[in-house]
Amino acid sequence: MIKELPKEVLDLDEKILSYIRRGTDHQDSEGFNRLALRVFELQVKYIPIYRRYCEKRGITPEKISSWDQIPALPTDAFKVMELAMLPSSAVRTFMTSGTTKPEERGKVHYDEGGLRLMDATIYQAASSFLFPDKVKTTILVIAPSPEIVPTMVMAYGMNRLMEYFGSPQSRFLIGKEGFEMRVLVDELRRSEAEGFPITICGGSFGFVNVFDYCREKGSRFRLLPGSRTLDAGGFKGRSREVKREEFVSDCEDFLGVAKTHCVNLLGMTEISSQFYDNTLRNAFMGTNLPRGKINPPWTRTLVVNPDTLEPLPPGQTGLLRHFDLANRGHLLAIQSDDLGRITPEGFEIEGRTREGEARGCSLTIDEMTQIRKV
Amino acid sequence: MEIIEVDAYYLPPDLRTQVKAFRTEAYQDGDMTIHLKIPQISRSFVETLTDHLKKNRETYLASLPIGKIIDVLDEASRRWLERDYPLRQLVLKTIPAITHFSREVVEASIDVEMESSLKEDIWRALCSEIKNPLYLDDFQYSPELAGYSRAFGPKLILSIFSENIPSLPHLLFMRAILLKAACLGKVASGEPTFAPLYLKTIEAIDPEMAKSMAVLYWRGGEEEIEEAAFHQADAVIMFGGVEACDSIRNKVPRGVKLLLHSHKLGFGIIGRKRLCHQGLEELAASIAYDCSMFDQQACLAPHIYYLEAGGEVSPKEFCRPLAEAMERLNRKMPRGRISPDEASAIHQLRAKYEFRELNDEGVLLFASPHGTDWTIVYEKDPGTFSPSPLNRFIRIYGVEDISQILPSLKSIAPYLQNAAVAIGDERETELIRRLGELGLARITSPGKMPVPSMMWHHDGVSPLSSLLCWCDVEKKDWTVGTKK
Repeated sequence: MIKELPKEVLDLDEKILSYIRRGTDHQDSEGFNRLALRVFELQVKYIPIYRRYCEKRGITPEKISSWDQIPALPTDAFKVMELAMLPSSAVRTFMTSGTTKPEERGKVHYDEGGLRLMDATIYQAASSFLFPDKVKTTILVIAPSPEIVPTMVMAYGMNRLMEYFGSPQSRFLIGKEGFEMRVLVDELRRSEAEGFPITICGGSFGFVNVFDYCREKGSRFRLLPGSRTLDAGGFKGRSREVKREEFVSDCEDFLGVAKTHCVNLLGMTEISSQFYDNTLRNAFMGTNLPRGKINPPWTRTLVVNPDTLEPLPPGQTGLLRHFDLANRGHLLAIQSDDLGRITPEGFEIEGRTREGEARGCSLTIDEMTQIRKV
Repeated sequence: MEIIEVDAYYLPPDLRTQVKAFRTEAYQDGDMTIHLKIPQISRSFVETLTDHLKKNRETYLASLPIGKIIDVLDEASRRWLERDYPLRQLVLKTIPAITHFSREVVEASIDVEMESSLKEDIWRALCSEIKNPLYLDDFQYSPELAGYSRAFGPKLILSIFSENIPSLPHLLFMRAILLKAACLGKVASGEPTFAPLYLKTIEAIDPEMAKSMAVLYWRGGEEEIEEAAFHQADAVIMFGGVEACDSIRNKVPRGVKLLLHSHKLGFGIIGRKRLCHQGLEELAASIAYDCSMFDQQACLAPHIYYLEAGGEVSPKEFCRPLAEAMERLNRKMPRGRISPDEASAIHQLRAKYEFRELNDEGVLLFASPHGTDWTIVYEKDPGTFSPSPLNRFIRIYGVEDISQILPSLKSIAPYLQNAAVAIGDERETELIRRLGELGLARITSPGKMPVPSMMWHHDGVSPLSSLLCWCDVEKKDWTVGTKK
């Protein structure tokens, strides 16, 4: 039996929803601050363990007046703790990837209202940054469908994109048997012949495997103008590492997709919203801004010193800390382990700390993981 | 602004002019800039150099009496122990700038390494491994054999250094010289300044001896150069990661002796009798030292300390005095700067423990008041050995009985190396016996983990005698000058 949401939560959700639905072109900082503090107040009220975490740091809702003072939660906390605002109302659980051990995967629970908020962010952000031209394309997703991987947040998000923006021919390309490269090739050929634009979405590493396939077979596609790609996530050892410049020029060479129409997205299981590159939007608006990840108005990102976790001035590299109103159902402020810096446009990711090399002759966690596999 | 120029190489004087091209790498540390001079070398240069080292060895080192050799090494250690020795002063600038270890850690590291490298220890190490060090000089009468024996060292040893312990490369040079072997050292890109300076010390004491030693800098995997070096050497000794050690196994020609010291895990076990009010602060200080020295980056460092329940002080209660000791030591010998990756790993792991603590799961977290300087976490032994993210992060596992620890150690036995053991009752003997059977290479007391003696069978191997080749003369009527 799933419990209904309390009225004060439903009321807050309504306010957040209408804030998100105002789109990405306003800068209502006051509104953001007010809503963020209200979310914090309710999260402290409903999540006792988060309340204790904040109290230990001397922070209560009465004591702070600005969203950036809200204590952020390191992502790994989701691996040891159920951190939902209303666990008995949860309808959906997403899990982090990166390890094969289920007990070491982070779990993020969503209630009905939380899912509604996420859906709204998916619609609004994609409307601005992926489909500002409102073109309906066939969306091909290099990922499994939510039926196959119900706990994968990317599958959920891509499914929503298809519903909101895709033509009826849209489909997932990873089935139970793995990646259907043949289907992708056929669809791309068909789109070239019949003249309809395509959107290819998926993990960045999946694209690299497509490029490698094209290189090997000598295949090249010339997709219709208006075609675009959306890639997310790193390579994490699942394909070779590819620099962004090489990635977009491969997109252009092998798929015929304009460099401006190759959009990268930062998505995290712990964050309901998505952070898109501004490249496609810039092209659409005819502006010449440098590439960067954009914070939609219902989010904020800070960069903090990796050692002290104190905020750093713009331009300096540190750990990214995200604040997301759509995280009402779990926790608004999330401390990631991504390295990045604030740019005039938004922010830029400079790497994932987990992919770095550790020092020391003492055996490291990574090496232990290797050993245990053996 | 101070600019310091320092060499990432050492060559015998007559070869120095042969290297024409150098590149420079710059390291910034506050107001100071270190310019690291790196020679551009080729395969043929490595071949010329190794030939040269071997010839120089033949004309001098090979016939130098072992007593004389030990005097030179002893003198070198003594110089490095002098506070105002200019080369010591120099590395106290270069190593912190390049490795990010604090100056205090580097200083402590030089002291422990050099103090265990004095004459008496060297003699003892030789005696422990080869009974009579004079076997290295000439044939000696062996009563067991009822004949004569002599030990010959390799002609050339290639030593591949790691960067995790400042001043450790001297140990590999010492071992080579004691075996009367020429030695080519390859420095780690992470800390290339100490080894060349150590050879300058040897040169100042005995220039002829220094002529059979050299230091070069190349990136691991530079195949042409590596191959040349491997083919010239009679023995290769390497410190490095598990993967690097594995990859070298296939590259070193058959017949070349290979000693690999790859990454290892350490831990400590304290019995209930030792967890008493008397001496608690000393015990805490000892454990803090084990966890803090070399910022926990040595293979000797503990990842976990197991504490047994049932004593005057519970394992949980012990964490507070330990936290105080960690903080005191950090003020005296600060942890070095760490990378964003390392810091982030510590914060994320702290968060996992903090939430379990807040959830009343019997977990404790003690963290440095500032940044990631040190961390102690307490939990009941979960039955698996979890490695630390290093940089002074120690897990304290509470156990009901020390005998419960062995199964979780068994599963990772090949990677275990060092343990500090203090049980305080008759069970200690049995525990040590079991740890020995598991394959541990060194068992010591808390507070002694980072400082093995010269006599230690490093990773379970005799570092000197395993490289020797013996010649026995089984002739009753044969005599040499040394027979008494």
